[in-house]
Amino acid sequence: MTDRTVANVTCLGCGCACDDITVLVTRDRIAEARNACALGAAWFGDGSVPAETRVNGRSASLEQALTEAARLLTGATHPLVYLAGDVSCETQREAVAIADRLHAAIDSLAATAATAVLAAQRRGRAGATLGEIRQRADLVVFWAVDPGARYPRYASRYAVEPRGVAAPQGRASRMLIAVDVGERRGPAEVNGRLAIAPADEVDSLEMMRATVQGRAAGADARFQPAIDLARRTTEARYVAIVADGEPGPIPPDPARAEALVTLAQALNGPTRCALSTLRGGGNRSGADAVLTWQTGFPFAVDFARGYPSYQPRTDAAALLGGGEVDAALVIGAPATLPEPVAAALAQVRSVAIGPRAGAASFQPAVAVDTGAAGIHEGGTAFRMDDVPLPLRPSLQGARAALATVRALRDRLGA
Amino acid sequence: MSKTPRLRIAGGTVYDPANGVDGVVRDVCIEGDRIVAELPSGAPRLDARGMVVMPGGVDIHAHIAGSSVNHARRLLPEEHTADPAPAPRLDGGAVARSGTGGTLPSTFATGYRYAGLGYTTVMEAAVAPLAARHAHAELDDTPIIDAGFFVLLGNDEYLLRQLAAGEAARARDYAAWLLGTTRAYAIKIVNPGGIAVWKGVGGGDRRNVSGVDDTLGSSAVTPRKILEVLAGAANALGLPHPVHIHCNNLGQPGNAATTLESMKALSGQRAHFTHLQFHSYGGAPGKGWASAAREVIEYVNAHTEVSVDVGQVMFGSATTVTADSPVEHLLYTSSGRKWVNVDIELESGCGIVPYAYREKAAVAALQWAVGLELFLLARDPWRVVLSTDHPNGGTFLSYPELIRLLMDRAYRDERLKGVNQKLLAGSALLDGLAREYTLGEIATITRAGPARLLGLKDKGHLGPGADADVTIYTNEADRAKMFSTPRYTIKAGTLVVEDGQLRRAPAGRRLAVRPGYDAAVTKDDQYACVAFENYGAEPVP
Repeated sequence: MTDRTVANVTCLGCGCACDDITVLVTRDRIAEARNACALGAAWFGDGSVPAETRVNGRSASLEQALTEAARLLTGATHPLVYLAGDVSCETQREAVAIADRLHAAIDSLAATAATAVLAAQRRGRAGATLGEIRQRADLVVFWAVDPGARYPRYASRYAVEPRGVAAPQGRASRMLIAVDVGERRGPAEVNGRLAIAPADEVDSLEMMRATVQGRAAGADARFQPAIDLARRTTEARYVAIVADGEPGPIPPDPARAEALVTLAQALNGPTRCALSTLRGGGNRSGADAVLTWQTGFPFAVDFARGYPSYQPRTDAAALLGGGEVDAALVIGAPATLPEPVAAALAQVRSVAIGPRAGAASFQPAVAVDTGAAGIHEGGTAFRMDDVPLPLRPSLQGARAALATVRALRDRLGA
Repeated sequence: MSKTPRLRIAGGTVYDPANGVDGVVRDVCIEGDRIVAELPSGAPRLDARGMVVMPGGVDIHAHIAGSSVNHARRLLPEEHTADPAPAPRLDGGAVARSGTGGTLPSTFATGYRYAGLGYTTVMEAAVAPLAARHAHAELDDTPIIDAGFFVLLGNDEYLLRQLAAGEAARARDYAAWLLGTTRAYAIKIVNPGGIAVWKGVGGGDRRNVSGVDDTLGSSAVTPRKILEVLAGAANALGLPHPVHIHCNNLGQPGNAATTLESMKALSGQRAHFTHLQFHSYGGAPGKGWASAAREVIEYVNAHTEVSVDVGQVMFGSATTVTADSPVEHLLYTSSGRKWVNVDIELESGCGIVPYAYREKAAVAALQWAVGLELFLLARDPWRVVLSTDHPNGGTFLSYPELIRLLMDRAYRDERLKGVNQKLLAGSALLDGLAREYTLGEIATITRAGPARLLGLKDKGHLGPGADADVTIYTNEADRAKMFSTPRYTIKAGTLVVEDGQLRRAPAGRRLAVRPGYDAAVTKDDQYACVAFENYGAEPVP
């Protein structure tokens, strides 16, 4: 028996941020997250979260925890604030204020896509919101990615299946091409595919750009399939190139990220093109947006000098590992942390506020469990394409991350 | 006994054009957040003798918050690194925020710097409905200034479908609904139809429209029709600000013809034409440039229903950021600089290219001259507002320099000698325009005029009941110096700048409208990929 139904719920299980989820609640537990994919269903779970507050492993009052957190953070020479997943932009804004006050370093889950962000800072971007790709794209090129694995509804909601104003038959209006680069393969169900050796990937992208720009691309047979694809793209009305911004089986390559951007830009000469860079969930795109508007930089910011400076070559794990920070405040779900960051956090005294903070592998000195944004708490989150969406909590009763972080901010006089 | 704070600004030389006060020594009295007629003699006094007192500045058109601005910030880390903004020290240990500057400052720095310039009200000029929630969040983090935004409607595909179907009334209701649901202040049109064509609407190989009578798919849908319907909607809905128009063909030689056709299309209807400088060129594509400022401003002079802001180009760094994405593609291909394009589903676009205007560049010099011609040939300062289309023509921090150019002929003529003369042959500036703006006229084009055009009845003047937004300047011969460092800025009765230093940073208010509409009209979501209930910027329970 369903006690309550909440419609139009936004899921933060991945960067798709599907906002068509209907959550059925029975006895204060999520019985079903309708429309959600497997990844989304796992993200919602049954909505139960622990509600512990611990200081040095022992149960404590919130008062005690905030006092100890403030003591620990103000006693540090150079703390790190880290924005993990599953908190709203409203909470992220408070967290940046704390970092500003503490002259701390601050980083976030947005840093996982650092290579793509840095390429966009060097060259710009040719992009579109996901809905525009749905409306327009008649040729979709999956560059070394099958979104089905990490972004399960990307195809059904955006780039492939749905009907759009210039794609009236949905899937049938679109040509899909998979580019397989070594083990990084495109989707199985496509109209055509080509294989590129990993060592030839960047050169292939450059050959494609040369072709698109009408420059001689040479006669090397290795590049012929890519050159043929380039010719095909120029005949389409609106090309979407889909690539993964998140880390995969091989180390991120700045040259590859930049070649994808410049190819997409060049395609806007003969036709229209958008590069769709896939990004993960947990509202990491919100962290990117909030840090950018409050500091001017999207990630890897340091307030040590009393103002924001940008340290994009030094990620949080390196700061922690190199001894450059001596305490940490993690806001958000520790379970979403990149493994190297979680491991490095064990080296400093830390405070964790967020969903299942008490279960953090790095054993924070102060841990305050809260609910998750989008399940227990409202606010705003950003889709991977920077579209803002409201969050609709379906469960009540968990401690709010926003109120908790605000209380800590007050303690710190920030 | 009331504890409402009171302040008598005593003995200053007051410029309050809305109330016919032009350089008169008198007191201005504040009680709470309002101007009042009189205060008891024992009320606290601020000695303003020898100083110039004006209402707080009102910026009618700037790009300061929202998704496009944030894309531009993200694109320019080098600018932010070069211009750190440590947190100001506020009175009483109040906590301020640090940030960074450059052409697109972080939100807190934006609020502080506007207040430091004596501006207390700013309109963000272009927000896509889909990103309205983002714009509000940024404005929440932009302290001191009262702010609102204009919502983009000139390329909205639902609207274009209503035009194709001849449903002007439905289009009007849709505009009303959209203004309310996004908590916007006015309707904005950017390159009517042109962005939709850039995205593929209407088919074919076109990448933009070329004039007001190009068709988009249906012969019923033209830039002219979009202008007519939205101008009519704004006026029929009784919005405080009329439709705010960025014309077709921005930045193209010969575009003055399109600008005049757009103005004539709306003859007799109130309409605001923005950054007119970018739309006042003679010549022809591929055949060179010339100034057409005189022709355009003479039309404006003769038609009282038309208002404009100038969009002056200032020499130095700028960032072009606009919904007019086809223009940015041209600028990218011609400049070779880095470039952002974001097509925004069913609504609009976003294009960004960093830029610099150099004295020695012929087109930049022409643009600079065209802007000054518009100012100097304008007959009614109430309808010709000071703007640089921040940060497109230059940043808001360049307003004081612009004021000096307008007030100081000798300085202007000296600067004119230093710029590239190649394209200035037809410019009225070379004829020796002798006009020098008075302080009263500056108060009009930076305060009273924009407030009146925005329909902000409590702003831009110092009469009883007005918002207590006041700027007090030391009267200096160097007008650039004078206007860049006010001695005092008062916002809603609070002294935010004192002796040239930022001392307090209260939150600003949001300016928004909520016109009525036919409840049957709501966005159809056949193609939308954001749930109807999640669209817009209404608070969600």
